[in-house]
Amino acid sequence: MTIEHWLRVWNYLPILLQGLSVNLALLGGLITVGFIIGVVVALLEVYAPPPLRLVAFGYAWIFRSIPEILLLLLMWFGPAQFGIKISPFIAAVLALGLRSSAYQAEIFRGALQAIPVGQALAARALGLSRIGAIRYVLLPQALRLSLAGWGNEFAVVLKDTTLAYAIGVVEVMRQARYIGSREFPLTLPAYITVALLFLILTYAGLFIIGKAERRLRIPGLEARR
Amino acid sequence: MALRRVAVVVLVLGVVGLGGMGAEKFVVGTDAAWPPFEWVSAKGEILGFDVDVMRMIAILEGYEVEIRDIAFDSIIPAVIAGKLDIGASGFTITAERAQVVDFSSPYWSSDQTVLVRAGSGLNVVTALMPGRKVGAQRGTTGAFWVEDNLVAKGVAVELVLYETYPEAIMDLLAGRLDAVIQDEAPSQQAVRQYPGQLVIAGVIKTYEEFGFLVAKGDPKGILPRIERGMKKLKETGAWDNLVAAYFGNPLEAVESAWEACIDLLRVAKDPVAYAACLVQKVRELSK
Repeated sequence: MTIEHWLRVWNYLPILLQGLSVNLALLGGLITVGFIIGVVVALLEVYAPPPLRLVAFGYAWIFRSIPEILLLLLMWFGPAQFGIKISPFIAAVLALGLRSSAYQAEIFRGALQAIPVGQALAARALGLSRIGAIRYVLLPQALRLSLAGWGNEFAVVLKDTTLAYAIGVVEVMRQARYIGSREFPLTLPAYITVALLFLILTYAGLFIIGKAERRLRIPGLEARR
Repeated sequence: MALRRVAVVVLVLGVVGLGGMGAEKFVVGTDAAWPPFEWVSAKGEILGFDVDVMRMIAILEGYEVEIRDIAFDSIIPAVIAGKLDIGASGFTITAERAQVVDFSSPYWSSDQTVLVRAGSGLNVVTALMPGRKVGAQRGTTGAFWVEDNLVAKGVAVELVLYETYPEAIMDLLAGRLDAVIQDEAPSQQAVRQYPGQLVIAGVIKTYEEFGFLVAKGDPKGILPRIERGMKKLKETGAWDNLVAAYFGNPLEAVESAWEACIDLLRVAKDPVAYAACLVQKVRELSK
């Protein structure tokens, strides 16, 4: 790796950034899917009657067990067997999103269970319905409590988006490989550049989540220090 | 009532409009990390011999192609699953593959080459002796050759598989491999890009032939059209021009020439003029 190699990689930066924008789009999609399903699954795990609870735990078990690369391939090839057309991008969002939802569900479940039982009782005593107590009292607190764990999940899924190249999503890792296959000596500098880009992205994301954590904190109700 | 009639008219117009717009389109899968057969230019365009042949035949045979880049060992599963219509990625025609997909007639022949570090003093025999570490790209015929002709026959070389070819080259240069087995054209590419660091120790005559592939039984009737298209390209001389342009020239020259000429294909839809333009421009730029 000489200076000249690094200068040549610099010329490719726009292409790498273009690839990175695809990773960000994937991230946005998968984390939204994961959040919505994750919250529902967590609520079912904690508050639903036994049969539904079992289904929710089963769901989390399945999607935490299957390797992500396998989930990607199954999501891409599977629906085609039933004549359903699904683009590589959507398949990646769904596969990675479902996987993330199982992990997010566990984060939210932990937070829900960390809220003292007295809160639910107090809410019911004030006349809120069971759903109302969850909706207005328990869930808002649980989501705040789960932000730290959620930041961890964010850092994980951000990197997961690079797996999508396996099913043909042209994201930053794939772009780095294009560079390497075009100019072999640039392979390693291109990979290192991608690593640096992810360092920056992860820092930025965790910074924002940290800000949110402080902003959303309710005095007197934060996790004990 | 009137409203409903309007709705029906809109619906019919919409369906007719969509039907008219959607000319027949086939999705072509390629692993765009294997120059000069297929790669991605500095400007992010997919080009290469296979890809251009696909585009040219599409024009001659009156259909559209969408080129999709995908990992090499995912292409055949994707064709089987119906996610891709055609595989065009320097596929060697093998009996195993022919059991699950259908091939066109051969369009290219290639042998395998053994690549070693310059100054290592290895030749094609000593590079493949027991105990040597040999690298190859996963799912390629180079990897299969090592498995079938060395490993399976008790020659204890250590076969190391890589997702892409450049990664194998990196490990060869780093000294973690003794040799890399790969098709001729990409090997020559590697030698050109690492001047004085790599040499081709020798050629293994495998007499491989490349073919384009489609789903078993060719349900969409694509193969006859590919055959007809290849025949037309060869008759008009466009094929020879394309070969002369893509093989044995620096990638940068091919890319610039491709950019200068591609509108002849995209806009003018003239494969013959395109191939002539490409070879002429490449020759000018390679001087």
